[in-house]
Formats: sequence, C-alpha cells, structure tokens
Amino acid sequence: MLKSVGAALVAAMLALPVAAQTLRPDQAQFRALYKELVETNTTHSTGNCTLAAQRMAGHLKTAGFADADLNVFVPPGFPLDGGLIATLHGSDSKAAAIILLAHLDVVEAKREDWTRDPFVLIEENGNFYGRGTIDDKSQAAIFTDSMARLKAKKPPLRTIKLVLTCGEESGARINNIRWLIDNHRDWLNAAFALNEGGGGTLNAQGKPQTLGFQAGEKVSQNFRIEATNPGGHSSMPRPDNAIYDLSRGLIGLADHDFPVQFNDTTRGYFGAMAGIVGGDTGKAMTELLANPQDAAADALVSKNAAWHSMLRTTCVATLTEGGHAINALPQRATANVNCRMFPGDPVPNVQAQLVKAMGNTGVTVTAVPPVNPTPPPPPLTPLVFGTAKQVAAKHFPGIPVLPMMLTGATDGRFLTGAGVPTYGVPGSFLAADSGMHGLNEYVPAATLYAQRDYLFDLIQAYAATKDTQ
Amino acid sequence: MTFKALLLAALVAAPATAQTIRPDQAAFRELYKELVETNTTLSSGSCTAAAAKMGARLKAAGFSDADISYYATSEKPKEGGLVAVLHGNDHNAKPMLLLAHLDVVEAKREDWTRDPFTLVEEGGYFYARGTADDKAQAAIWTDALIRFKQSGYKPARSIKLALTCGEETTFAFNGAQWLAQNRPDLISAEFALNEGGGGMLDATGRPVLLAMQVGEKDVQNYWLEVTNPGGHSSRPVPENAIYRLSAAVSKVGAHEFPVTFTPTTRAFFGGMSTILGGQTGAAMTALLANPNDAAANAIVSKDAAFHSMLRTTCVATLLDAGHANNALPQRARANINCRIIPGETKASVQAELARVINDPKVSITPEATMRPVATEPTLDPKIVGPAKALAAKYFPGVPMLPVMSTGATDAIFLTGIPTYGVPGVFGDMDGNGAHGLNERIRVKSVYEGRDYLYDLVKIYAGGK
Repeated sequence: MLKSVGAALVAAMLALPVAAQTLRPDQAQFRALYKELVETNTTHSTGNCTLAAQRMAGHLKTAGFADADLNVFVPPGFPLDGGLIATLHGSDSKAAAIILLAHLDVVEAKREDWTRDPFVLIEENGNFYGRGTIDDKSQAAIFTDSMARLKAKKPPLRTIKLVLTCGEESGARINNIRWLIDNHRDWLNAAFALNEGGGGTLNAQGKPQTLGFQAGEKVSQNFRIEATNPGGHSSMPRPDNAIYDLSRGLIGLADHDFPVQFNDTTRGYFGAMAGIVGGDTGKAMTELLANPQDAAADALVSKNAAWHSMLRTTCVATLTEGGHAINALPQRATANVNCRMFPGDPVPNVQAQLVKAMGNTGVTVTAVPPVNPTPPPPPLTPLVFGTAKQVAAKHFPGIPVLPMMLTGATDGRFLTGAGVPTYGVPGSFLAADSGMHGLNEYVPAATLYAQRDYLFDLIQAYAATKDTQ
Repeated sequence: MTFKALLLAALVAAPATAQTIRPDQAAFRELYKELVETNTTLSSGSCTAAAAKMGARLKAAGFSDADISYYATSEKPKEGGLVAVLHGNDHNAKPMLLLAHLDVVEAKREDWTRDPFTLVEEGGYFYARGTADDKAQAAIWTDALIRFKQSGYKPARSIKLALTCGEETTFAFNGAQWLAQNRPDLISAEFALNEGGGGMLDATGRPVLLAMQVGEKDVQNYWLEVTNPGGHSSRPVPENAIYRLSAAVSKVGAHEFPVTFTPTTRAFFGGMSTILGGQTGAAMTALLANPNDAAANAIVSKDAAFHSMLRTTCVATLLDAGHANNALPQRARANINCRIIPGETKASVQAELARVINDPKVSITPEATMRPVATEPTLDPKIVGPAKALAAKYFPGVPMLPVMSTGATDAIFLTGIPTYGVPGVFGDMDGNGAHGLNERIRVKSVYEGRDYLYDLVKIYAGGK
C-alpha cells in the first residue's frame, strides 16, 4: 500500500489511549488474531504467506466455517505464496456478493534496523509496533475477525467473500490477485470489493480532520529514455554527447507539467477540501474546478505535492545511467522515468507528451513492459459512497468523508480492471511517522479498534442491502 | 597511441607484397608476428609470456642473462615485462631508453572480421589487435637491439629497452610506473623514446607530416554529486537530484575553456597552417596571433583533435543516479573527465567548473589519482635536430611537427626522463582501428618506420 494515503496533511496522532486491560471480550479475541498474523513473517525473503493463510483459515474454522468454504489456494510452483478465500453465504442467492480484500505479505524488515523485533506484536505507549501492524495486516485481521463474528449472526443478505492474498508489495514472486484473475476469475465474482487505500487525515493538532474513501488510483508506468552516440576517447570530446543529450531531455521534462484533469473522485475531493482548507488555497481549488486551465489557481494548489499529483499525470526521472568507462565518451545514456498516469489518460498520450517535453535532443522514449491499462475509476455510487458516509456519521461524527484518488498503487487496480469495482474503505488515521514500508511501523491501538468497529458496521450495512447502485 | 588518431583521412593502399621483402625484414616479420599472436589483453592474455618470448629472442641474439631483467609481481603474475640493456662503451654518456608497451586493448573474435590474435597480411595491411598499438613499436625496438647485437655495434651510450604492461588500462598494474618506483636504476636514462609520434598520410596516401610527440595533457576526473531526501515517485516534488545534476552537466557540456598555446602546440599549429593552407590554415595563423579570435577558433575547432589541442577539455563520461524505479533519486553522480593543458592546474580547472556550474548544491570532488603532474619536455635540439635530419633522407620534403598528446601515455611515470614520441611510422588518419575493431597498419609504413628508427637510435646512441 502506498504511503501517501494519510500523509496529505502533516499530522501527529489522535490520542485516545486505551489500556490493554479495558478491552471488551470481542476486542481481546481480535487482538489475539491480529497478534498471530503480525507474528507470522510474510516477507518475500524469509516469510510464508501460505502459513498465514492457513492460520486465518484456522480461526474461521473455529468460528464455524465449513472446510468447503475455506479455500486455501497455492499457485503451482509457489508453495510459500498462497492465500485464502473464505465464503460466508448470504441468504439471498440472487444478490451479488461483496469482497473483502486484504494482502498478507509485508515489506522486508531487518531486526538490526528496528528498535523492537518487527515480527513480535509489541504494545507500548498505546501503540502496536510490528511489521504489517498497518500495511496490511490491520485490515486483513479486521476483515477475518469480521467474518468470524458474522458467522455467529444471522446470515446477511449478500454473500461475503474474504480474499487474503500474497504478493501485493513490490519484489514479490507472484501477485495472487493477478493469478486469481487469470486462473480463477469466477472465485472473484462480486458486485464490488473493499480494500486498503482509504484512510483519514489528522489536522496539525492531531485531531481527525477527514476520512478518505478511495475510488480509483493512478497507474504506474515506466518509460526508458535513451540517448546514444558513437563515443570515442575522452581526450578528444566531440560536440555531441549521449550524457548531454539525455541531460537536456531531462531538463525539458523537469520543466514540463501535465495538464490538470478531474474525475468524479477528485472533483468530489477538491470540492469538499475547498471548504475544509478555506482561504486562498480553498478559493483556488474552487476556481480550478471551474476552469482546469486556470494557471494561477493551479500554481497555488499544486504547491502541495500530494495535490499536485492528484490533479494530473506525473512523470519523474528516478534512475539514470550513462557511459562505460571513466576515460571514454559515453556511447549510451539512459534514464527511467516513472509516470503515474491519471485514470483514463492513455499510455500513448503520456508518451507523446514525454517526447515533446524532451525537445529536440534525439533521445528515444519507450514504454517499459508491462504496458499498463489506465481504467477509469470505479463509480462513486450512492450505495458504496453514501453508505460509507452514513456509517461514518455514527462512528466519527462531524468528520467529512472525502472521495479520494490514490496517487500510488494497490491491488485494487487489477480487480477494478477485471470488472469488480474496488474501493479503499476509510477508518484508519495514520501518524505522519507511521513507519509504513519503513522502520518501526506502528498504529495507535485506539485507532485500530475504532477502525475495526467502523468497518464491522460498514460491512454489515453493505451486506444487508441488495441494491446495486 | 594518440597522434595517429588525430585526423580523419582515407588512405590510398599501396600494396607491398610479402615476397619482395629483404631477409632482415623477414626476420622482423617473424618477431612481430609472434608478438602480435601472443594475446596480451588484461582479461585473458599474458604480458609476461610476451616478455619471455622477446627475451628469448634477445638471448638467442647474444644478450647475456645478466642484461635481460624480467619483472613481475606475485599479485599480478601475468602483467610482467622486461628490461634489456645493450651496454655503451662511453662511461660519460648517459643511457637512453626505448619504451614500448606489450599489452593491448580487449578484442572479441565475434566482433572482428578476422581473428584479432592472428597476424593477417592483406591488401598491403597487417591486421590484428596491437599491429598499430603498440606492438609495431615494441617489435621495432626489440628487433633493433637484436640487430645491434648481431652486427657487433658498440654504442657510446647504453641503450635500454623496457617492454611494459598496463598502458591501456587505468587501474590495473602499470609496468612503467612500477619500474620507476621500484627499479629506477634499470630504466634511468637521459631521455626516452616512446610511442605517440608517428606520421600522417593525406587522402591520396602521400606522407603529409611527421610527428614528434612532446608532452601531454594532464588527466583529472571530477565527480559531480547532488543529494536529495528522495521520496516516493508517485508524488514528485520540484527539487530532484537528477534534474539538478542534469542542469550542471549541461552547463559543463556548453562550456568551452579558452584557447591556450604551449611552445609545442604553437610550433604544431604554425607548421600545420602551412601544410593545410586554405581557410583552415589561415584560421590557425589568425588564432596564433590572437587566441581570442572567435571566428578563427570556430574554424580550427571543427576538427575534434585540433579542438582538444587548443585548450583544456572537460567532458561527462559517466552518469549514475537513483536506487529504484519507483523512488525519487536520493543521489545523482556524474564523472567529468578533464584533460588539462600544461600551465593550468587541477585546482584551477576545478574552480572553473564550479564557476560554470554555479550551484552550491552540486558538489565537485576530484578523483584521487596516482599519476604525477604532467610536465612538458623542452623541444631539445639534440633530439629534434637528428630526427629532422634523418627524416630528410628517408622522407624528403615531409615536415616534422612537435605534437602535444591530448591523451595520457606512460611517459608521465618517467619523472625526470624527458620522453619523446618518435616519428617514423605513418598511420592511417582514421586511427587505424586502434582501441577499436579490425586494427591494422600499412605494411610499407612498418618497414619504412623500422628502417628510420633503427638509424635514429644509432645516431642518438653514438659509437659504431
């Protein structure tokens, strides 16, 4: 999951310390499940997603799920990279299912770099520390725990499918969601899916400010920029030089800004954010919504890097390499340009703009496979968005729910692309120093319990209606 | 091997057939063939083996074991060489040193038209790796010593021959440097004769000039570096290490150092202006009168070799930035390779780079170097005079010009021994494929140069 979710605004943490001893029985049960999951190493280097999937299946079996409804799947040839699909059958066989999607795998974590053991759940100062405490074992545990609790209740209207996967984080051997789409698309039939990628922001005082309901994400695409030259001995430079050609092209790219675009998600986001932020910036957001070509308004809003990225396709040079010897004129200089394409902005259009930005420098621009589609964002229907707002009004009174487009990537782009609209549900408020993907990842315990309560109600609300809009 | 790469020109083939050669030329050809066919690349060859073969030939010609010193270190057993001495009979005359390197640039069979390690004579050319750089010179020197010994020649000065390894590589073991530091007695000399001179043919194959290489530019690498906190690539920010470095590198690319003449280059361009004549010749004359003449500079500097001889040059050779394709770069680095004209310093060039880049966020760090500072030997009449006089006999009407090497040679390690790149072997001005593919040298040029250099060494050494 991408870091940018909750960090759009600088923040400290919502402090609502809950001492471990005051837990409700259902919270204590959840804590045990969460602990087991966090303490199951699921890194790509030394971990085992299949084991984590089996353990979650074990919890559900204890809760009363039949073996037939617990599908621990393992892609052939990847014994450590398995996942789980658990099915809670709805009462109305005609109502489309909903999917609860979370990934089991975590980013690498080295014991020697961390203050505490990253694979031991440590509760300290009201925080849970450990790799995956946020990304994404918080949601995986909440969803699994929800399934267990729902099993004890009257069956919901809709069928609920829990899909726990491996391989979401970069560096994975295999991405389960893509494998499932390619091999078992029918296992994923659903009206829509709930995923990571939503969240919430805190204000400068650490108070919850907004909740984010994620609908749509930008698509990552790498382009290779290359300049070539006959080269020669460095004692006799020639006027043209591969490194210079590349450098001039990259300078052109640095000066290029892609045009402002809006979709329903970002229109909703900036419309609401204009009122929250107020002042000159809020006014600029309103002006920009009225006229995306308003350069002055764009300049003001785009001072914030997160907003700048939400407003457009971005492309940035991330790697360069040139030359082959210290005393030889370079025969080749290359750069990787990482683009985050606005949903619906096609690759050829982005590529054409890159070529133009590079100017007359002779560099070539090639899309690096895989060339990714850029599907439009899933629709913000009254059912999915309206229900999320209604339930939020109860759990987080007074805090607005904003539609949100991710500038980074989750597995939601694959599932949405496969025809299951996938949304990042709100409820988590992260500290700016949450350590997600980094060191000493942590989540405040109170936040996690509040998120769990919210999502449990939200899932039930979704599952109780058969509306498709 | 630098001068031969200076100017572009096609060569008219004047095929010499192998069967017309003299018996002494046939013997030389055998030695040259053996040397060329001994692979001396750093990757898979052995200079030590080549030195042993040349040493065996010297021994067979009558050199005693005491007069042949092999050297190699235990760490680099294949990168050895030899020093041989033909003793002079005038104890007041200081020795002279003949220097050539055994090692060659890498060559891949699959890239070449012919086997790079088989001497192929075809269409008046010798083809193979090292035929030009530098095994023609190494073979000519070794062959000269053999013939001196066999003919009973008694030089006044001692003639020393040093065949070394590691000239073509920047960071590998360098034999010339090792000898200068560890066995200075073996190579001590009043002056040394080396590669780097030669001669140039015009487009019709006629000799245009002979070159005596005197002095070379200094080499210094500078690393430009920009650092940045980085971040996730999904959220770019205006400040970016790659973009900042790109701007700095572009400024270096657009910068020209001022035209600066040295005594050597002044003499070179003076002579060259006459040889070339026309617009370019007139521009050289104008530039000599006024180094700030931008129009003249533009004309002369169209030629990359002249451009480099006129000034310090700095050029980007390596670029490296970033650590992941989805992360904003935290570090971006570029190497700037500078060739500094005698008279300027590494510090002054660094200061000029800093002025041109004009960005305190771009750090400039000189790469540590083991190389001594290059100094320009004087145009000593005792060296230049006999070379010119003998050339008038062998190559009548062909002018001889002093040339400053824009590249670095092993001469730099021979501190205190003025080193000259001798004229005599004419090369194709496309560089003869030296360092590149299908290296070759005109057969006639090798035999002519051999005759010239044999006599030249005798003149320098005196005696009879």
